[in-house]
Amino acid sequence: MLVSAVTLGCALLLGQTEVPAVAGPEAPVEAPVEANAVLSSEPPRTPGPWDFQMAIPDAASPQQSNEGQALCLPLPPTPAVPSGQWRARCDDARKECLVSPAHELDSKGHENDQPLQRVDRCLPLMLTLEKALEYRLVPAIAEAPPGWYRDERGRVLQYNFDLHRRVRLGGAWAPRWLRETDGVDERVRVDFGVDLEWPGESDRLHRMTLLDTELYLGDAASYEATLLRYDFRSQNDAPLFRVTTFYGRARRFDVHANLGFWMEVLHGEQVRREDVHADFLSLAATHVTLDLWHSEDLVSYVRVRAGPSVERDRTNGFFTLVPAAALEGDLTLDRDGFHHVRFGAEAQKVLLAERVEGRPLRPERLRLRAGYEVIALAINDQPVSLTLDGRGTWRDDVANAPAGWEWSAQAGLRFSLWAPARRSAPASAPGKG
Amino acid sequence: MVALALALLLGTLPGPGLSCEGRTAAGETFPTCFDPGTGWVLGTTLRVQDGEEALGLRTGLLVRVARSSGSKTDSLWFDSHRLLMTEAWGGEHEGLTVTAYEGLLRRHVEEGAILIPMGRPRRIPFPFDVALAVRAAHLERRTWEGAGWTLETGRVGLLLDPLRTNTEWGWLAVGPAASHALWHGPDGTRNEVSPFTSLLLDAGWETRDGRWALRATGLAGWSFDFDGGSRFRARGEVALEHVLLAVNDAPVFVRLTATGVRNDAGLFRRSEGMLGAGLAVRPFGER
Repeated sequence: MLVSAVTLGCALLLGQTEVPAVAGPEAPVEAPVEANAVLSSEPPRTPGPWDFQMAIPDAASPQQSNEGQALCLPLPPTPAVPSGQWRARCDDARKECLVSPAHELDSKGHENDQPLQRVDRCLPLMLTLEKALEYRLVPAIAEAPPGWYRDERGRVLQYNFDLHRRVRLGGAWAPRWLRETDGVDERVRVDFGVDLEWPGESDRLHRMTLLDTELYLGDAASYEATLLRYDFRSQNDAPLFRVTTFYGRARRFDVHANLGFWMEVLHGEQVRREDVHADFLSLAATHVTLDLWHSEDLVSYVRVRAGPSVERDRTNGFFTLVPAAALEGDLTLDRDGFHHVRFGAEAQKVLLAERVEGRPLRPERLRLRAGYEVIALAINDQPVSLTLDGRGTWRDDVANAPAGWEWSAQAGLRFSLWAPARRSAPASAPGKG
Repeated sequence: MVALALALLLGTLPGPGLSCEGRTAAGETFPTCFDPGTGWVLGTTLRVQDGEEALGLRTGLLVRVARSSGSKTDSLWFDSHRLLMTEAWGGEHEGLTVTAYEGLLRRHVEEGAILIPMGRPRRIPFPFDVALAVRAAHLERRTWEGAGWTLETGRVGLLLDPLRTNTEWGWLAVGPAASHALWHGPDGTRNEVSPFTSLLLDAGWETRDGRWALRATGLAGWSFDFDGGSRFRARGEVALEHVLLAVNDAPVFVRLTATGVRNDAGLFRRSEGMLGAGLAVRPFGER
């Protein structure tokens, strides 16, 4: 289409030299028009191939696609578009051009001085008169990049967000219930973090979180923070095992396993139970992951992971080895990245610990969590999301504190900077198919 | 004051034919416009606090960048970074403050909007720019208070800017801020957190030639001790800078400051006020 458009344009550039001048701005009527319906068969009296008043698009107008080359299209001035600057994308097969004003429109439908944002540069070419007469011009909304929506006034807004690439800052109400004491801690949570995600080679997806921090304030103030967390997962088409059976007809069964890697560096945690507290600092943790399921783009997954970590018990002053195993999932539920579900269950066993009075020699921890995050709105294309979390922890690693469950329900808001459109963002805008 | 404000305002107007280049009789050129947000600051300060005068030193690196957004093009980021800003003073109330990093990252969009994602996307006009204020590792040490120090490990503010200028010469950013600080004294170390219970202000206005610069910062709100308890504290500072001359193209400027603190100064969270006047040079500070 580009070649043909350029060819046509070039041909008509030559033809333009012989064509007369454009109609004046006082041209009266403004309505959707077919070029060949308006142009008579008589030789044109004006220089442009289209001598009519082009209508501006409305909400029901079609949208230009991102495919092909946009052409700069000068048309006779109208009260709504006095500059006469339009952009066109033409379909040679259908002999149809979708045209949109080259500037945004104000609330009254008149163009302002703001050029359309996030559009491709148009080629300053014009179709020849002969070719132009073959094309039907249809008012349209200009194209928008994948993940962005353009309204009938030509303004764009982002409606597709990648929450795996963001700088986030949030707060939540986070009360905690201690089952053993029937106590309730009134707390709030402040959280912060930087999430990164990038695709690698051979169907691999890397994900990293920096400075993942949760501060709990109020009753039993505490914190949990991780300097760096990194993992990758991949789609392996080659089977990990091939099992062949020979009873009856020989058959082969392929066992696929999508293995990955997960690690954490400097994970700190402060635990408070009434009057006692404990501080733990995991220096490094490395786990192998096995995806039980992942989406085609590897963004969503359900997996198990297991591996050891080296931990410093800062309260009692010794190092321990902490093997752990987890089942966890991270699901993006919709195309535009508005709905996210995360869940996990992780068991840990503290080994090589020194004897501490008031707690077992090999303490254990079991952490459960499930969360839902939904983007409620976006301010200047920066999403604000609602977060709901439920968490439960069983542990007996705090000396002189009764072993048992603690539960927390958390609800809050989170503001995200960056959050570009997802890599899988569709080119078509919502409501436009 | 009104005259000064008018002068500042008029100076910021897009004056026709503003030239940032002078020319000597020999035809050599020299800069006449300066960027108050860029350069290496090195200067002296005279502080007056409780009727007592003290001399001080002030240094640090300023970097200001205007760039297009990478992920959300057609919007501009105006980023002001201040690195290793250090101020030390003598006298009876000898002390030192060091800020490893402080930045104001402001994103300007031509037409702010709130996206309502239900059904077909709708946009509601939103007349603010969004800004992020970050400060990391702000240390305060007052030797006259005895052993101990105060370290604000981090502060982050989510700010809104109703001015929405599309230049780096004017901003008015206000919003909630969260911070964490350590107070280390003879009795041990205490943690203190302000979980978005403080209001942060960062405002500035500069003439286009950068020879006048006014900046106001403020913080007020409640902070909470990890071991319980809360307190209200506030602080504000207004600084006016004026370039007097330039030496080897480096602006030499006078800086006047007024600072007020309530329940937030030093180890003992004093309330105090202070006036300052200083002279400083800012190499690499031409616009």
